[in-house]
Amino acid sequence: MRRPLSDLRPVYVVGIGLHPYQRPGETPYTALGVHAIRGALADAGIEWTDVESAYTGTATTAMALSRLMYRHLGSTGIPMVQVENASASGSTAVRQAAFEVAAGLADVSIAVGVDKPLNFTMPQGAAGARDLVGGRAAPFTHFALLADRYMHETGATPENFAQVAVKNSRNGALNPNAQRRKVRTLEDVLEPPQISGILTRLQCTPIGEGAAAAIIVSEDAIERLGIDRSRAVRISSSASQSEQVYDGENFDVALTKATTEQALGEAGIGPGDLDVVELHDAFTVEELLYVEAMGLCEPGHAAEALMSGEFDIGGRVAVSPSGGLLAMGHPTGPTGVGQICEITTQLRGEGGERQQPDARTGLAHMVGVGAVCVVHVLSRPA
Amino acid sequence: MRVAAHPELFDPDAESPTLRATRCASCGRVAFPPIAIGCDVCGALEEQLTPIAVEAAGVIHASATVHRHFGEPPTPFTIVEVRLDDGPIARGMGDPGSDGFSVGQRVAATWQVERVDDDGNDVVEPVFAAIEEVRS
Ligand SMILES: [Zn+2]
Repeated sequence: MRRPLSDLRPVYVVGIGLHPYQRPGETPYTALGVHAIRGALADAGIEWTDVESAYTGTATTAMALSRLMYRHLGSTGIPMVQVENASASGSTAVRQAAFEVAAGLADVSIAVGVDKPLNFTMPQGAAGARDLVGGRAAPFTHFALLADRYMHETGATPENFAQVAVKNSRNGALNPNAQRRKVRTLEDVLEPPQISGILTRLQCTPIGEGAAAAIIVSEDAIERLGIDRSRAVRISSSASQSEQVYDGENFDVALTKATTEQALGEAGIGPGDLDVVELHDAFTVEELLYVEAMGLCEPGHAAEALMSGEFDIGGRVAVSPSGGLLAMGHPTGPTGVGQICEITTQLRGEGGERQQPDARTGLAHMVGVGAVCVVHVLSRPA
Repeated sequence: MRVAAHPELFDPDAESPTLRATRCASCGRVAFPPIAIGCDVCGALEEQLTPIAVEAAGVIHASATVHRHFGEPPTPFTIVEVRLDDGPIARGMGDPGSDGFSVGQRVAATWQVERVDDDGNDVVEPVFAAIEEVRS
């Protein structure tokens, strides 16, 4: 029988580190990753030799990349594995590390996301699965179609979608690890180039590279290694589901709704309890769809809530205070781990200029093509 | 003569395009594109997945005009999602001659010649265009 994470022993995020997300360049992935890991170790105040297992979220770089990276921290012989789950690779690495510690198989595990945008491969060719449009419908067109449908169903306007990018650019400008750090106006966002449907360039996540790391530990490890308990953020729940056949209902929305409901339920809270949310806003339309699916506002009212500032930092619930995928960026493997870093920062009250006041409970959400969805709920130290 | 760009998806001999779909004898699921190996709703074996022809006609569920694309075809072109009269939503190409699409609009596919092959055959694919006619 399936059991929730909360049935097992408690697990905490105690160390976070990032390599800034950036345009693809010459930096080796190993340097990106080690930078983030050293950051996380220093943040937790522990040594690499204290880490007992490693999960590497990665999807676009190369096979077997873990050991070539971790060796630069010294050889300890720990188990390590790549976790590939498309855009949700990093989130899934966090989940696996949390499970190992919660189950009592390790006291200290690290989830690392690292990627360079070198190899984007899709399984349809190998499956011999074909449709009428093939490569002519890129991911941005998938989301442009959702935007068209959403406008029809809710009366939303192209400007409403663009406002998502305006808000997230404002947040990203405050984030030293963000790839896009410019504040953008509505006019900036609506400016050509048009990509697909209503989507302009600034309404699509940039292609980039980077790394993120989160150290996940048990109570025993906090005790034994003398980790600062007041900065330990509890992982209250971890939920993951995969797409079913929804007969025309938007599957990204249906999947997000079901997975978020499970994560909130297993954490024993409701959507109204959330102070900060990081969600998969690779395209502006997604934020409007997902805040509704998560129950952060009434169905069909996301644009209204966005315009009235409810999702701003300082609003009812800060949505993507990091800048989200639109501004912080989406280097694939790192993204889901980076969300955990942001929520941890917020729940510790260490967000500086982009701090959501009195943030106690946060949620991180990723979807990956396939489709899969991974949601974590985190809670502030008591 | 007409040959199909993707023979597994449609029948090029039909005067107006019909799509190749499957119906699951176990759960009734109509799948387009057609599915093999096992049913994606109930897991029934391939023997239960009966090939059927469905009319390439229905109403627009959503559409998007693509402005950024590498390779063929040149932009802009339009991708449509059509709720077929026989049930499933199919993603297809909008007729390049069409003047935009709106949700709920009635469409049917016509043949478009993609290219001419080495034997002089028209390689065709269905593209969706608006129609006036109301299906009885
Ligand atoms: Zn079936």
